[in-house]
This record gives sequence, structure tokens and C-alpha cells, in this order.
Amino acid sequence: MTNDRVFWRSLEAKAQPEQARERATGSDVVKQSIDAPGLIRLRRRQFLSLSGAISALVGIGCSIRRPVEKIMPYTEMPADVTVGVPSHYASVLTRRGEALGVVVQSSEGRPTKVEGNPEHPGSAGGTDLQAQAALLDLYDSERARTPTLQGAPRTYAEVDAVLAELAGQLAASGGAGLRVLSEPSLSPTFVRLRAALAAKLPNAVFHTYAPVSDSNERAGTQLAFGRPLLVQHRLAGAQVIVALDSDFLMTETGSVEAARGFANGRHMDSAAGKQPNRLYAVEPTLSVTGSNADHRLSLPAQSIAAYAKALAAALVGQGISLGALDSELGRPELAGVASPWTLAVARDLAEHRGASLVIAGSRQPAAVHALAHAMNSALGNVGRTVVYVTPVDAEEPLHFPDIASLARDMAAGKVQTLLVLGGNPVLDAPADVQFKEALAKVPLSLCLSGWRHETGELCTWHVPQAHALESWGDQVSRIGAYSVQQPLISPLFKGRSDTSLLAALLAPAASAVSERDPYLLVKATAAMHGADDERRWQRLLQRGVGPRNVSQITLGGLSLQTAAIQSALRALPEAAQLGLDSLEVVFLADNKLLDGRHANNAWLQELPDPITRITWDNAALIAPSTAQALGVASGDMLRLTSSDARSIEIVAWVQPGQAPGSIGLPLGWGRKRGGKHALGAGFDVYPLRTSGAPHFTAGVKLAKLGTRYPLSQTQEHDVMEGRPIALDATLDAYREHPNFGQRGSPDPSPPPLWKTQDYSQGPQWGMAIDLNRCVGCSACVIACQSENNIPVVGKDQVARGRAMAWLRIDRYYVGDDADQPEVAFQPVSCQHCEQAPCENVCPVNATSHSPEGLNDIAYNRCIGTRYCMNNCPYKVRRFNFLNNNLDIPETQKMVHNPDVTLRFRGVVEKCTYCVQRIQSSKIAAKREGRELKDGDVVTACQQACPAEAITFGDIRDATSAVSRAREVDRNYALLAEVGTRPRTRFLGKVRNPNPEMVG
Amino acid sequence: MQLFRRSLNHLPLALVVGVGGLGAALTVGIWYYFSPRNLQVGYTPKQPIPYSHKLHVGELGLDCRYCHSNVERSPEAMIPPTQTCMGCHAVVRPDSPRLAALRDSWKSGNPVPWVRVHKLPEHAYFDHSVHLPAGVGCATCHGRIDQMDEVRLEMPLAMGWCLECHRDPGPHLRPQTELTNMSWKRDEASTVLAAVSVAAAGVRPPEHCTGCHR
Repeated sequence: MTNDRVFWRSLEAKAQPEQARERATGSDVVKQSIDAPGLIRLRRRQFLSLSGAISALVGIGCSIRRPVEKIMPYTEMPADVTVGVPSHYASVLTRRGEALGVVVQSSEGRPTKVEGNPEHPGSAGGTDLQAQAALLDLYDSERARTPTLQGAPRTYAEVDAVLAELAGQLAASGGAGLRVLSEPSLSPTFVRLRAALAAKLPNAVFHTYAPVSDSNERAGTQLAFGRPLLVQHRLAGAQVIVALDSDFLMTETGSVEAARGFANGRHMDSAAGKQPNRLYAVEPTLSVTGSNADHRLSLPAQSIAAYAKALAAALVGQGISLGALDSELGRPELAGVASPWTLAVARDLAEHRGASLVIAGSRQPAAVHALAHAMNSALGNVGRTVVYVTPVDAEEPLHFPDIASLARDMAAGKVQTLLVLGGNPVLDAPADVQFKEALAKVPLSLCLSGWRHETGELCTWHVPQAHALESWGDQVSRIGAYSVQQPLISPLFKGRSDTSLLAALLAPAASAVSERDPYLLVKATAAMHGADDERRWQRLLQRGVGPRNVSQITLGGLSLQTAAIQSALRALPEAAQLGLDSLEVVFLADNKLLDGRHANNAWLQELPDPITRITWDNAALIAPSTAQALGVASGDMLRLTSSDARSIEIVAWVQPGQAPGSIGLPLGWGRKRGGKHALGAGFDVYPLRTSGAPHFTAGVKLAKLGTRYPLSQTQEHDVMEGRPIALDATLDAYREHPNFGQRGSPDPSPPPLWKTQDYSQGPQWGMAIDLNRCVGCSACVIACQSENNIPVVGKDQVARGRAMAWLRIDRYYVGDDADQPEVAFQPVSCQHCEQAPCENVCPVNATSHSPEGLNDIAYNRCIGTRYCMNNCPYKVRRFNFLNNNLDIPETQKMVHNPDVTLRFRGVVEKCTYCVQRIQSSKIAAKREGRELKDGDVVTACQQACPAEAITFGDIRDATSAVSRAREVDRNYALLAEVGTRPRTRFLGKVRNPNPEMVG
Repeated sequence: MQLFRRSLNHLPLALVVGVGGLGAALTVGIWYYFSPRNLQVGYTPKQPIPYSHKLHVGELGLDCRYCHSNVERSPEAMIPPTQTCMGCHAVVRPDSPRLAALRDSWKSGNPVPWVRVHKLPEHAYFDHSVHLPAGVGCATCHGRIDQMDEVRLEMPLAMGWCLECHRDPGPHLRPQTELTNMSWKRDEASTVLAAVSVAAAGVRPPEHCTGCHR
């Protein structure tokens, strides 16, 4: 009884009930009734509870009554802003060694969506996940905000003063003791400023390092052709592709363009259409590329070189001579590899001279790359499916020896000043160079990076780096297309760029602004690339890419240095004997985080890994047979110890398709600094990586720790169990039964259950997803998240099955062999069923059907019954169990798309076919007094897909792209026998196995 | 033997009174909370500058689009920037004390904090620019602004009220030349005109949820 009274009054009263009773009985209002017997005591309690309730309500009303809203117009209206209508600016982002041209939507002066730039050769309109997620990196509230000196905040003026002083000192000594460490650069401005600085300070040394890079590719071409060249693949023309440990569709450089080319080569309009390409993948870990392969062989990474030799020898056997290398290659037998993998593959390659391609991955040593170039040369592919390009930075050194020599000099005390421009060497430099310890010996170090991370907190100075979306720069794509990186917003935290830091050292403070302002520096570089007057400059900015500089491309006429290749092949180490107590580990560029630079990006963290479907963690990938032999199950904690006594602890994951005896370790997780999402997510594998064997190493021992670690996976069910879900057929089966999609379903067209709606008016929206083109990269998932303000729920909620992604990519394993599975990907979002089971069960009619065929949802009506979620056979509806938009930092709120409602707790949401885009296009058409035409409405997923797998449009228009796609013979509706009549059609995947290798 | 104390005889009455009172209080409270003054018809807030539409539009004859210039291009009609006002008031009554706040805004660069009169909830995405080609005049939703010294909320702007027109737009439309003519009245001839234009102009106002709620 006493507690009731206390609760109504206040929280303090609850803590001290005795005093509360005194306070209550002391009140004037009830004094007259104190002396009355029991009757009055009851009344007093009632009165108090009543008055408490009223005062609470009135109090609530007074303090949180909806306030009057103010409108704050401009004082001076900018000329190019139409309030309420977003503008678009072209820019460019980089990922590994390729520039990705983007068009960024800017709403009210802030960027809100990243799209591909159709004019840019690197993207051709598509994007990858990291480009889509770049916005969240930009708005990350945990980015460094002020420069720091030994951890204490300082001002930019002080940084400038220090740099000016340093510039003076260095100019006097010719740069003695100065080392500049930067990441590989595609920026001509950066490269020329660095060259100018090197010329001005001849005693300074410039280093380049990135943990995941194309260093081996350069070493390979250097070996093969005598000079470092970059390799550009033209996949659309390749009928037979052999990928040697190359994840070219996902993590390797140029994956966006590669996905486009591969999908084009794969495309089939009908069963009688042109022959699709055939992909052979030989790799240690199941990757996205391997998942798309027609034939996949799991081999430990150390054995790939032997395989390459065997394949080359088999090619020689087919009459394709590799010149002087023929004798080097020996015979095509390779122990442990079935002979079709050399003989049949070689025959296939030989039958497609000029239309084949051998790709070596960035983990393989230079000799393997050189051998691949030799094979391509012999097959006549050079100039057709592969071309060679002169790099922007022709003098870039090999990374691992370079960082090792820098660390050695630092430890020896030879380095007085170290500038780290981007990158995080304390985290990701090879463990044996002991960069962290060496850094302690450098008197003055300055780190420029977006977050104050592992390196930033150990350097003397840390200067915040402006993000690519908020600073001026430029990038040249591999084939020489020059683009300007223009800022979409003023730097949120006033960061600096690497070019401005170099300029500060190059040009003393008194010199002209044109030599220090990044904008003018970039403009000067652009002038050197053809934009030499104002009109051309504006055109470059508008279009996003300048004319291609084809002089950089070498189509042919390169001579192979067979002698060098021969000696490199001989120098390759023998593959170590692998066993249960001597395993190989392979260091993988993570599918989402790459080398760890996106570790604080919640979208990427929560995205299920395309292969393992794990969120918020990485894991050591172990083959099922190896795991069984070792007694390891998924979720067991392990200790991996290398032969030089370095060890890491990591959770195990049994991964079908992993090569037995080899363990895949994704890089970039388990960060100790860099933001709250980065901390505690996954396990750091960098401590095992040494400069001598940075990509794979053998002789690793595995020990179970005996503890378990919880992993959050979004898809636990990996098989289709005979149900017609992600349908596929071999090419022969497709030709025999072109409508294999329809035949997969027991009854593809049951009669309608409810009254059919009138669909005769207006555009009728529908979608087609071509599973033959989809590579499974998940760019569409992040694009949807970015466009529709989909919240992030965190690892714990994902484990409860509450992940919020509207579009998911299901990954299924097909086949009986757990060590060599086939993989099927299927993007699934709301199917917008014409006979929707979800609409009839909503008690408040929150979900209804629009006359254009969309399944609508009015968030404000939803009361959270979740009956609709229950009834959906595709399980595409998502419920906001918690208020996921609570406590979002102010800067991060800017990432939200203003055209889409932010959903509150208790509301069901799902894919809307980007209805905000549909409405905007319809409104624009009405404004202009015309009808909508095909291509006006592009959904976010469709726009992001690098492989153009998704088509969307008006199905009432027989000439629209989507209508034609839906008429393709291999189309089917998902779970058609349920009778939902979905508006999304899938086009079944066609596998193209080599008849010699089947069975 | 009595199971309950005598004093509890009054409990039922007390409960009815208490619960009834509580229910009444709750109802009143919730009703009060969900009926803020700024969403009621007749709401006429005090604006920081006593701008009179009656003077500028009614007497001087300024067209709506002179200031609310984005109404044909954008979802938001836009309150004019200080620059628009200063276009005239740099020379017209440049020293008027009533325009002091305007001049301060121009000099300092701080916006004039106008009080919003026509407010839709944030989950309703209203687009001005599509209503104009359809033939909806400004006065249809905003009332006779040209007769208001202080802007007043004339129409409820509730979803039901919007749907009345969306379900039968014909009677509420006017010719394209009369969109900003506040005093335009429908007559017999134009009723016929409106009916024709609805069909011909392809006016198809959405009645489904995602027409306005995204």
C-alpha cells in the first residue's frame, strides 16, 4: 500500500518510502481527513492517486505538447537549389586499385544516396557494397573531430604551424630523416605532388603500403614483361574463364566492371540464345566468384602454383606453345587433382583462343601471375579479353618489402619524421616488422586518417582526414579515364586531405593559394588531362569523367620474358605437406570490410557475409572434412599458432567448399580502436601475417580452447530440400526444357483465391530478377538500406531473427559433397503478390493493394499484430521490435533519405518497390505533362546492381524491358503453387558444365 | 463471520468514482494532447514580421508564385527567402519600424523564423507541384489568403478532407489560368469545363495509401 502511494509521486519517493509517507500526510489538502477512521484513509488514498494521475497527465501535456513549428527559409537563396528536389553530383570513389565513378544524390545540401555513374567505365552505372556504404562512413559520428597532439586536442592552425616549421626544416636538410608512408594512389594530383616533393627533398624516402593490394599483379607483369603494368580484363568477350585463386567478382580490383562483363557474357535471352560463358574457379576458400563457377576446385592456396603449371603443361599438350617455358612445365599430372581439371580445362581453353581468359588472384605469387600472362599470350587473348595498362603511379614499390624496410629504419633510429597519409600500419603491417615498436622510436610522427585508430593514437600528431565525399581530389581509372572527386558537403569535421598535407610541405605558407588549395591543385591536374578551360572543366565536373586516355592501354606487342619467368617458377617453394597438425592459413580480404577500413560501418557489419551469412563477426573457415577430423564444430573457439610461434584466437566456422587442410582467415576484424562497431566485432588475424608469407602460410597448428562463441547468422538453413526456390538447370537441360522454371513448381498457376483487382488503369509495376546474372555481391542490399532508411539492430537482435533488411540474398548449397558444393544465390524481397496473403489478415487494414499492383503499407496504421508477417510465404516482412532509431548521433541522422518515413517501434515494414521513386517519377511526368516511359523509374536495388540482374518497370507496356525479361522462357514465380501471383519473376540460373567433366 | 471489513463497504462506490474519474481524466488528457491549437481551423499565429497578404496580394496584386516560387517545381511551395522581400523593401519603405526584423535578417544572414500555419504530419508526403497541373487552385486549400492580414488555417487539412477531393476531384478544379486567382468562382459553364478537364488531363488522384504515405 505504501509503495503504491510512493510510485505515483516521484522516483525519489520510491527510493525513500518512509519520507514519502510523511510528505504525503503532511499535505494541506488532506490534513482535515487525517483524524477520520478507516473510511477516510481509503478516500485519501484514492484522492492522492487521482491527483497524482491528473498532475502527471497535465504535466505530460504541458511539457511535451506538440510544439509550434517554425519555418526557416534562406536569407539568400542559392541559385542551383530547389528546396524539396534533390540534386545530383558526379564524383568518384576508390576501392582497392580501381576508381568507381559515382553520382551522389544531394538533398538540401547533404549527400543521401550513392549511385553508379553510367558514363564511367569503372562502374558503368553499377556500384559495390563499399560505395553504397560510403555514406555511413562519411556521417560516422566517431570520426576524429579535432587534431590531437599526444592525445590532447589542438587546432588546425597549430597543425599548419607545425607543418610550416617542418617544411622549413626539411627544405634546409633536403628531407633527411623524412619518411612518407601512403596508400597506393590512383590520384594524379597526389602522385605529381609527391613527385614534386621527392624532387625538392631528395633525401626523403616515400613508401607505399596497403595490406590488400595489387602488388603481386605488378610484380607479375614486371616479371612477365619487364615493366610493371596493370591487368585489365574484358570479361564480356571471354567464353572460358579460369580463375586461379581470384575473387574477381567480389573482392579483387575492378569487381564492378568484372561483374558487368561476366553477367553480359553469361546472359541468355532464350534457350536458343548465344552460348554463355564458362567459369572454372580454383581456390582455397569458397568465394563469391567460386559460387558462380560452373566448375570449382578447392585447393590449398600453396598448391595453386602447381596447378597453374599443370594447366599450362596441359595447354602445351593441346598444342598451345608457351615458347621456352614448355620444357619448364613438365607433365600435367598433379597429385590430388583429377585429370579433367587439367586436361579438360586446357582443351576448353584451347578451343577458345582469343575468347578465353586466365586470371591470377592477388594472393598468388608473381610467378603464377606471369604464368597466367604467358598462357593468355599463347592463347591469343591479349588485346581481346585482356589488355595491359600503364599505372598512374609507375614507381610504386612492392608493398611488403617496402614496409619491412621502413620499419627496420624506424627501429634503427634513422627516421626523424614519419608521415602516415591514410592507412593503418600499426594494425595491418605484417606482424614480424613490428611496426608498433618501431613507431615508438620515431621522434615526430603525424597520422592522417578519418578515425583516431590504432596508428593515430600512437603517432605524435593525429590529423582528421576528410572523407572522399567531402573533399576535392581526382582519380584515374585503370584504363585511363580521369575523374574529379568533388565534395558533396563541406567537411563535417574540418578534415584535411592527403594532397593538402603534401602541398603544405611543398609550398611554404607564403606561396600562392593555387599551390595549397586542393580545389585549385585538382583543377590544375585536370587541365593536364584535357580540361584546360572553364567550359571543359565544368563539363568534366558535370559528366564525372573525362575522355579516356587510351595511350595508357597496351593491346599487344609485349614480349614475354620467358627466362625470368622460368627462374621464378623454379624458385617457387615446394608445397608444404599439410596435415591435421600442420595446416595452411589463407589471409582473405573480407567480403565486406576488405582490409578492415570499414570496420565501424554498421551497415556492412550487419550485412550477412555473402558466403557464411554471419553478421558482426568473422570466423576461421574450416573445411567440413578437416573440422570433423579435428573435432571442431562451428562456434568453437580456437587458437591458431604459426610455425614462428605467433598465435591468434578465433572462432571456428565449418565452411563447405573450403579446401581441406586450409583455413580461411578474413582480415580486418577484431579492431581495438576505430569506433564502437569496430570494437569487439570479430577477431584480429593480422598478428599471424608475416611479410615473408603475407597471403598464405603453412605449418599452423590448431588447438581448441574449449570455449564457445556465439555467432549471429541470418540464414541457418542452407538447403532448399527439393523445393522449387532458386531454380537452375544445366545448359543442355535448359535447351531441352526451356521453361524449366515453370516445371519446377508443382502447379505454377492455381486459380485466384480472392477477387482479382482491376489492373487495367495506369502503370502496373513488376520486377524481373535474373539469377543467371546475379553474382551474389549484396550491393543491392546495402543500396536498399541506404535508400529506405533501414535501421541497424545489432548482433544480439540479429541472433533473434530480427534483422531488418528488406532485401535479402539467400545462399543455398546444392549437391551432396560438403567439400565441393554448388552454390545458388537468390535475392528475395517483397514479391508484391496480386493475391497477397498478408493483406487480408491485417486487423487494421494497414496493408492494402494499390491499383498499380503494389502492396502498400501505411506505417501509421500498423499496430504491430504481425499477422501479416506470419502469413507471408516468403517471409519478407520485417518488424521493428525495438525503437531502432533511438539515440542516433546527430551527424548520423543526416544519412537518412528524406523521402522515406522513419519507422518507429511496433511497425511492420517491407520492400515497397521504391514507391518514393515511383511517386517522384510520376509527379515529374505529370509536371511535364507527359506519360511515364520505360526507364523513368529505377529502384535502388536495380540501380546498384553491377551485373544488371534486376529489371523493373511497367508490365502493362509490352515493350518495356521488364515485360521482355518476364517473357524469357526460363522465368518463374517463386512458390507459384501457393497462388500468390507475385509481381516479381525470377529467371532461372543456367549452369554451363563442361561435358567432359560431368559425372 | 464477516469475510470483509466493514470499511470496505464503500469500496465499490469509491472504485466507480475513482475509475470513472481516472477514465475521464485520461480521455480529457489524450483529447487535449491530440488537439493542439496549431492544427485547428482558425489557427492564426503571431508571425515575427507582420506581413499582410491582404496588402501585398489583395491590394498590390502580387501573384502567389512571385514569392512561393517552387510551387510548380517542388513538393514544397517554399517560404520566400529574405532576398525576395528585400527585392522591393530595399527601396520601398526602407526605414519602416515594422520591417526591422527583416532588415536584421538580411544584414545578419539569420533566417526570419516564420511560424508554420499549414502543417501536415511527417508521414504524409504532400507534393505541391503535382496539384497545379491537375488544376487545384491555391485558394482551394489555403482559403482566401488575399483577404487575410494574418494567415489563418482555413481548411482542416485532415486526411479525410483530402480524400473528399481525391475521390471526386471535378468540383474542386479550376482552369490552369485561374490557379492563383483567389476570387475565381465556379459557374455553370466551368462545371462542364472541369468535368471535361478531369478526364482529358488524366487527373488521377491517388486513393491508395502509398499515394501520400511512403
